[in-house]
Amino acid sequence: MATTTSPITITIDPVTRLEGHLKVEVTVDVKDGLQQVVDARATGTLFRGFELILTNRDPLDAPDLTQRICGVCPVSHGLAATTTLENAAGLVAPDNARLMRNLVLGSNYIQSHILHFYHLALPDFVSGPDMPPWQPSWAADKRIESQSADLIGHYVKALEMRRKAHEMGALFGGRLPHPPAFVPGGFTTTPRSARIRKFKSYLNDILGFITRTYLPDVRLVADHYSDYFAIGRGPGNLLAYGVFDEDSTGQHKLLRRGRIQGSSGVLPVDPNAITEQVTHSWYSEQSNNRTPASGSTVPQYPKAGAYSWLKAPRYAEVPCEVGPLARMTINGDYSSGISVMDRHQARAEEALKVAEALQVWLRQLQPSGPVYRRYSAPAAATASGLTEAPRGALGHWLRISGGKIVNYQVLTPTCWNASPRDSAGVPGPIEQALIGTPVSDLDQPVEVLRVIHSFDPCLSCAVHVMRPAEGARIFALGHYHSEEEVHEHGRSH
Amino acid sequence: MTISRRQFLDLCKQSAAVLGLGAAHLAQLEKALANPDAPTVIWLQGSACTGCSVSLLNRISSTAPATIADVLIQVINLRYHPNLMSLAGQPAAAIAEDARARGGYILALEGGVPTAFGGAACWAWSADGRDVTLLEAVEALAARAAQLLCVGTCAAWGGVPAAPPNPTGVKGLQAIALRQTVNIAGCPPHPDWIVWAIANMLTGTVGALDSYGRPKALFNRTVHDLCPRRETEEARMYGQDGLCTEELGCLGPHTVGPCPVSLWNGRQNWCVDANSLCIGCTNPGFPGLYLRRNTDGHDD
Repeated sequence: MATTTSPITITIDPVTRLEGHLKVEVTVDVKDGLQQVVDARATGTLFRGFELILTNRDPLDAPDLTQRICGVCPVSHGLAATTTLENAAGLVAPDNARLMRNLVLGSNYIQSHILHFYHLALPDFVSGPDMPPWQPSWAADKRIESQSADLIGHYVKALEMRRKAHEMGALFGGRLPHPPAFVPGGFTTTPRSARIRKFKSYLNDILGFITRTYLPDVRLVADHYSDYFAIGRGPGNLLAYGVFDEDSTGQHKLLRRGRIQGSSGVLPVDPNAITEQVTHSWYSEQSNNRTPASGSTVPQYPKAGAYSWLKAPRYAEVPCEVGPLARMTINGDYSSGISVMDRHQARAEEALKVAEALQVWLRQLQPSGPVYRRYSAPAAATASGLTEAPRGALGHWLRISGGKIVNYQVLTPTCWNASPRDSAGVPGPIEQALIGTPVSDLDQPVEVLRVIHSFDPCLSCAVHVMRPAEGARIFALGHYHSEEEVHEHGRSH
Repeated sequence: MTISRRQFLDLCKQSAAVLGLGAAHLAQLEKALANPDAPTVIWLQGSACTGCSVSLLNRISSTAPATIADVLIQVINLRYHPNLMSLAGQPAAAIAEDARARGGYILALEGGVPTAFGGAACWAWSADGRDVTLLEAVEALAARAAQLLCVGTCAAWGGVPAAPPNPTGVKGLQAIALRQTVNIAGCPPHPDWIVWAIANMLTGTVGALDSYGRPKALFNRTVHDLCPRRETEEARMYGQDGLCTEELGCLGPHTVGPCPVSLWNGRQNWCVDANSLCIGCTNPGFPGLYLRRNTDGHDD
């Protein structure tokens, strides 16, 4: 077993079993007699430039295009974009549309949560079958003996259940991933009774799996790894925009909006208190500390002290954890604490809460009621749409001028969780959660993976180039291209 | 405790029994034991959203391999896949390097290859303290692959990240490898199309490709040709069951793909059956300059 007596940096690249590209560097040293992480840096390693792609396009393209930011949470992007466009026009979708959006979004929450626990996180705790892609693997600290075959059996069963959750959502969504039914003005599908019956049948099957298999399996893993209720706390600030509208006003949600700062109670959320800091990101200081609505970004590389393409979002200057644990805690549904195991526990309990709510929304559908109101995008408007992806708070900010998109900003959950240090040098939530994590074997730092995976990171969502200011240079990693050159490249492709 | 291949097969059989699959299928599962050295597939993700992998996980069919678990246990050795593999970091990268040294694998690519900035918009992994770009990794792995599979429109031609102004200079795999690729188009592609491609690549029965590298066996008619709503009255707005959505901007007449017969998510639905539009996601030019030019059938 590899150990150290002086600080040593371990690079984990790629961090596998998450969505997108992530590199993590941890410095490990012996402190208070325990070999542990003493410093951590998270770096997103892919960017695509979605904001640039959206600029100059018809606003009606935003739902379909922003879904392609992420194949694991496309429904959340589709909902954020349609909500943003409806807010821009002051239009409220019919109730049937609200309900079908909830039903498709809830189906995707369930598939995402099941996928996360069994297929992304569980291999950190249980050895997979003796064949690729599960082997080879790190053998360190596998504590579950007699029930591990059961858990692998449930891994297979969970593949089936997450597939069924997608089939359930596709009944109304059209297909998953990337459902075509989310349009500003409402929804394209009608809630025919045959679809309602099929949805109910799927839902019964899935509810049985959540209560009889998923929740007990999380408890089983938690029992064997109870030390992980004290590992991976992070900053202790929680933020949720709220999700699943319970009425057409959008004011009442299944999971409410709010935030908790340290030991505070639940506080209100003011979107204008959100800023993005770039001191340790590859952007010019002149774009530091802007709100997403006024975000203008000037990339700069190289830059002393910078190490990530992610900006550092902060609420009133503090880093915040987002995700199921934040939502469930803020909603008063979970109160055990903040840790690796609390994240798994809260996520599983949220899956049950959402599945039970799906039963209610299904009953509220009016099979012959309207699903869509004619929508035209305004020629000029500024609007935003705040919702929650399975892995946390998601916001879209839009400016339309001359009937075209002139600025589109996306602030994703993993931007919050995997953010780099801010201007005050305070690390982001995943970085903070890693610091203090014990590492027994430097060659198999599975403890580091467990902390990272507990956040369910989605890096494709997180890294995107903001629209640069007039005449700004678009940069990546060692080379400069003027905006004109990039446009030229696009045309010649 | 690591369970053996044999035990895992039993677990999958239990799962198959739940799915109501017959004895013939179970016999095929048994054969997997005779072939623990199935062909290697190396699956890389470039400028991607993971939607193609999520779609593949949705595989369900009445013919073998019925599910994604069956694909993994019966058909291939998926040695490298960023979302599914156990290992992380340098040991994971070493698996890809080991496969490269042996050669003869299928290289499957999800997402396009960013070429701007020397490829540095997307890193594959770190090796010996150096960041290896996806461009470098794809060039090295494509050179020693037996066959190249593009999973999805992005890998084939660039897709959404290559839309104007193509900020990171994304290209499809064939433009990088300068070899013929089998292009399974779609954003995402249907899981049956992906599994069909892998199975037929293994047996050398992909057959003819169209001029865009798509297998003609799958991509031979337009969505409109195959659409059950082709001869129906025109819908005037969303939310009208059974009507043709061409006037709303459906791109089915300009899009080659078998969606109306494949159907999606266990044959539960597809874009037009949801009264929505085909947005042309199997087209080489997707997403083009517009997707939803005319949502309500009127220009007012």
